[in-house]
Amino acid sequence: MKLRIGGLAAMIVVAWLLPYGLGSYAIHVVNIALIYALLAIGMGLAMGISGQINLAQVAFFGVGAYVVAILTTHNGYGFWAASALALLATVATGLFVGVPALRMQSHYLGIVTLGLALGFLNWITNATITGGADGISGIPLPTLPGIDLSSEYLYYYVELVVCVLGLAFGLFVVRTALGRRLRAMRDDSLAASAMGAQIPLLRMTAFVLASLYGGMAGILYAGLIRYVAPETFSIANMFILLAMVIIGGRRSLVGCVVGAIGLTLIREWLSDFSTYAQLGYGVVVVLMVVFAPTGLAGVPGLVRDAVRRRSRTSGGPRAELRPFTPYEVSPPPDDQATGPLLDIRAVTKDFRGLRALDDVSLSVLPGEIRGIVGPNGSGKTTLFNVVSGFYRATSGQVRLSGRDTTATRPYTLSLLGVARTFQNLRLFSHLTVRENILVALDRTRTHTIWRYVLWPPGVLRQERRLRTQAQELLDRFGLADFADTPPGSLPYGIQRRIEIARAMAARPRLLLLDEPAAGLNGEEVGQLAHMVRSIRDSGTTVVLIEHNMGLVMSLCEQVTVLAGGRVIAEGTPPEVVASPAVIEAYLGDSEMAQDAREAAPPLTATTPHLPSPSPSNSEEAAR
Amino acid sequence: MQETLQTLVGGLSLGAVYALVAMGFSLVYRTMGLVNFAHADIAMIGAYAASTFYLTSKMPFVVAMVVAIVVTGAIGLVIERVLRPLENKDFDLMLIGTIGFGIVLQAVAILIWGTTGRAVPSPVRSAPLDVFGVRVRTYDLLVMAVAAFAVIGLAWFLARTKRGAAMQAVAMDHEAATAVGINVGRSNALAFSIGAGLAALAGGLVGPMLYVDASLGGALGIKGFAAAMLGGFGSIPGAVVGGLAIGVLDSYAAGHFQGYSVLVTFLVFTAAIMIRPMGVFGERTVSRA
Repeated sequence: MKLRIGGLAAMIVVAWLLPYGLGSYAIHVVNIALIYALLAIGMGLAMGISGQINLAQVAFFGVGAYVVAILTTHNGYGFWAASALALLATVATGLFVGVPALRMQSHYLGIVTLGLALGFLNWITNATITGGADGISGIPLPTLPGIDLSSEYLYYYVELVVCVLGLAFGLFVVRTALGRRLRAMRDDSLAASAMGAQIPLLRMTAFVLASLYGGMAGILYAGLIRYVAPETFSIANMFILLAMVIIGGRRSLVGCVVGAIGLTLIREWLSDFSTYAQLGYGVVVVLMVVFAPTGLAGVPGLVRDAVRRRSRTSGGPRAELRPFTPYEVSPPPDDQATGPLLDIRAVTKDFRGLRALDDVSLSVLPGEIRGIVGPNGSGKTTLFNVVSGFYRATSGQVRLSGRDTTATRPYTLSLLGVARTFQNLRLFSHLTVRENILVALDRTRTHTIWRYVLWPPGVLRQERRLRTQAQELLDRFGLADFADTPPGSLPYGIQRRIEIARAMAARPRLLLLDEPAAGLNGEEVGQLAHMVRSIRDSGTTVVLIEHNMGLVMSLCEQVTVLAGGRVIAEGTPPEVVASPAVIEAYLGDSEMAQDAREAAPPLTATTPHLPSPSPSNSEEAAR
Repeated sequence: MQETLQTLVGGLSLGAVYALVAMGFSLVYRTMGLVNFAHADIAMIGAYAASTFYLTSKMPFVVAMVVAIVVTGAIGLVIERVLRPLENKDFDLMLIGTIGFGIVLQAVAILIWGTTGRAVPSPVRSAPLDVFGVRVRTYDLLVMAVAAFAVIGLAWFLARTKRGAAMQAVAMDHEAATAVGINVGRSNALAFSIGAGLAALAGGLVGPMLYVDASLGGALGIKGFAAAMLGGFGSIPGAVVGGLAIGVLDSYAAGHFQGYSVLVTFLVFTAAIMIRPMGVFGERTVSRA
C-alpha cells in the first residue's frame, strides 16, 4: 500500500515536471497521447469492463469535436458553453448507438456500431454544416482566467487534470458496485440479471460512459488543434484505438491508458514508416490476442502466477474449505396468515410447437423444502426459468406471496426475494469469489447509479457496508480462504457452494436450487443437506430440483414429480416413490411397473391419464 | 418506373458481390463460430491480386481470378492456423484477432501496391444491352451469373460431398464431430480457405465495377457483413438474400440521398436488424439458463 502511494506520488511529480524537459513538438505529441488515453478509457469501460463491443468510439470523439467546432464558429457560442452542449450531444449519441445493444451482442453489436460510425463519417464528409472534407477551422481558443491556453505547455496541464480525474472516476466506477455489476454482466448477463442487475440499463450505462469519455476527448481535441476534419475520425483510427486497448489490456483502465500513450508515441516515432508501423501493431494485436489476451496489464499477473507456481512447494498454509456455520433459527412463519409463498397456477410453456410445461400447478408454503423430481426433459428447469423470470409462461400464472409475477423480469424478482442457482454453474468467471458474493449482496435498484455523479460518498459508504456483509457470508460458508481467487480455478464442489452462497447473499425469501448435488461426492452431499436445512430454518423457503433421490428423501417434506411437462404426483417422499404414475414414468409401463403398482397403495394428486415421458424434449430445447 | 428498374438492376449486380462476401462470412461463421473481420481485407487483397495478374501479368481475366483465389485461400489458411487456439473459446478475442489480421493485410497491400488505387477496365467489352429501356451492362450480367454459379457450387459441396458433410457436422457440434473421427482442424482450415476464396472472387469481380484501393475492403466488407446479418448469420440462402437486399438498398440510397447513401444504408440496416436480430433465415437462439 505504502509502495503504491509512493509510486502514485512519483508518477504525479513526473507528470508535473514533464513539460520542462520537452520541446514544443514533443509536448504536442504528448497532448495528443493524453486525448487518446481518454478515448481508450471510455473504450475500456465499454469493451473490457462491460463486454459491449463498441466500434463507434471515434464517432463519439467526432461528435464532441464537431459540436464544439460548429457551435463556436457558426453560432458564436463561447468555447466552454459549446463544450457543455457537446458533452450532452455526445451522450445523446451514445444512447442512440447503445440502443442496438439491447437487442444484440458480440459481433452483431460490433458490426452495427461500426456501421453507425461509418454513417457518421459519411455525414461529416458530405454535410455543408461540417465543412465537408475540408472540415472546420478557426475554432476559438478556449479561455481560462489567468492561464493562456494557446501555450501547449499550459494546455498539457489542463489535459492532465482531466485525464487524471477521468481515470480516477473510471477506477472508482470499476471497483465499486456499478463496475461490479457491469463486469458481472460481461461474464454472464443471465446470472447477473438473476442477481438483481438490470441488464438493459447497464448496457446503456456502458455506452453512456464510453461516449462521455469520447466527448471529453473530442472537446479537448477541438481546443488543442482548433481544426477538425473527417480523417481524424476514420475507421483506421478506430482500429488503432482498438489496438491500444487490446495491447494495453482491455480489462484494466490503467492498461488502456498505457496502451494509448505508448502506441501514440510509437506511432509518432515511426511516422516516417507509417505503413510498417501499421503492419507492426497489427501483428502485435494478433500475437496479444493469442498469447496474452489480458494485454500488457495482465503481464504482471501472469508473472506472479508463474512465480507462485514454481514456489508452490514451499508455500504457506494451504487454502481449504471450512465448515459451514449454520444460520440462526428464526421462528417458523404462520401458514394461515400468509398463504402460499409460491403459487403456480396452470402454467403452460410452449417453445414453437413443443410443449415443455403443460398445465402445471403447484404451491409452496413458506418455510417448506420442496423437491421437484422427474426424468430428464420433464420440464423441471423450464419451470425454474418461468418462476425466476427468464421465460414468460405461454399461459397460466405465477404468484409470489399473492403478487402476480408471471411477467416480472428476473432482476425485479431478485429484488423481490427470489434467488436461484444454475444447473451448469454460472459464476462470474473473471470476478473473484468475494466479488461474486458482492454482486448478489447489492440489493439497490440499478437506477441508483445517479449517485456516482451527484453523491460519490454515498457509494463509498454502501461499499463499506457491503464488504463487511460479504466477509460475514464468506466466513459463514467457509469460503474465506478463497475470497480473492477467481472461481474457475477452484474444485467443482467448492464452486457449487459458492453458487449457493451467492444466491443466499441476496437474502431471498425463496431459494431455487437447480440440481445442487450434481457432481458432488457423498460427504459434500451431506454438507449440502445440512446447509439447505439451516437455510430453511433461517426463514428462507427452498425449492430444489434433484436427481439424487437419497437427498430428496431425507431433505424434502413435499415432493412434486414432473414427467413430460405435467405434474404426475405430489406428496411426501414415501408416497411419491410408491406412486404407480411415478414408477411408470421412470421405468416405463413394464411388468415390473405393474408389479409395483399392485403393491403400492392408491395416492394423492395423480392424473388419471398419463403421458409417457419423452426424454428428448423440453430441457433440450431450453438449453 | 424505368428509373426504379435501373436502380434495381444496378443494385442486384453489386448485391451479387455482397452476397459472395456474405457467403464467405457465413461459411466460416457456421463452421467455426468465427466472425472474420479480416474477410473484407482478404477481398481487397483478392481484388488487387486479380487486377495485378490481369493488367500487369496480362493473364486472361479468368486465369487471373483463379490465381487470386488460390493466393487468398493460402492467406486464409495462415489466419486460421494462427487463431486456432482461440476457436470455440473466446468469441470476442477471435473477433479482435481477425481485426488485427485486417490491419496487417491493409498494411501489406499498401506496401505492395502503394496508396494510389487503380481502375480496372471491364473484361467484357460489348455494349450494354437494352432490355425494355433499361440499360444492363454485360459485365453486370456476368457478375450475377458467376455469383449464381458460386452459390450453387457451394450448396452442392455442402450437401453432396463427404468433406462438405463433415463441415456441416463440425458446424453443428464440433465435439461430436471429433468423436466420429472428423479432423476438425483440417475441416475448419478448408472452410476458412473456401471463405477466403469466395472473398477473392467477390473482390476480383468488383474490381471493374469500383475503384481498387486499400480501402476497398472497408466498403465491401462491412456491407457484406451487414448482408450476412440481414439474411441470418450462418445461413447460405440468407447470405444471398441479404446481399441482394443490401445491394438494392445501397443503390437506391445512392440514387436518392447521394452523398449520404452510407449513412442512410446503415440507419436502415440498424433499424431492420433491431426488428429482427436473427435475420431472415436465422434461428432465434433460446437464452440458456
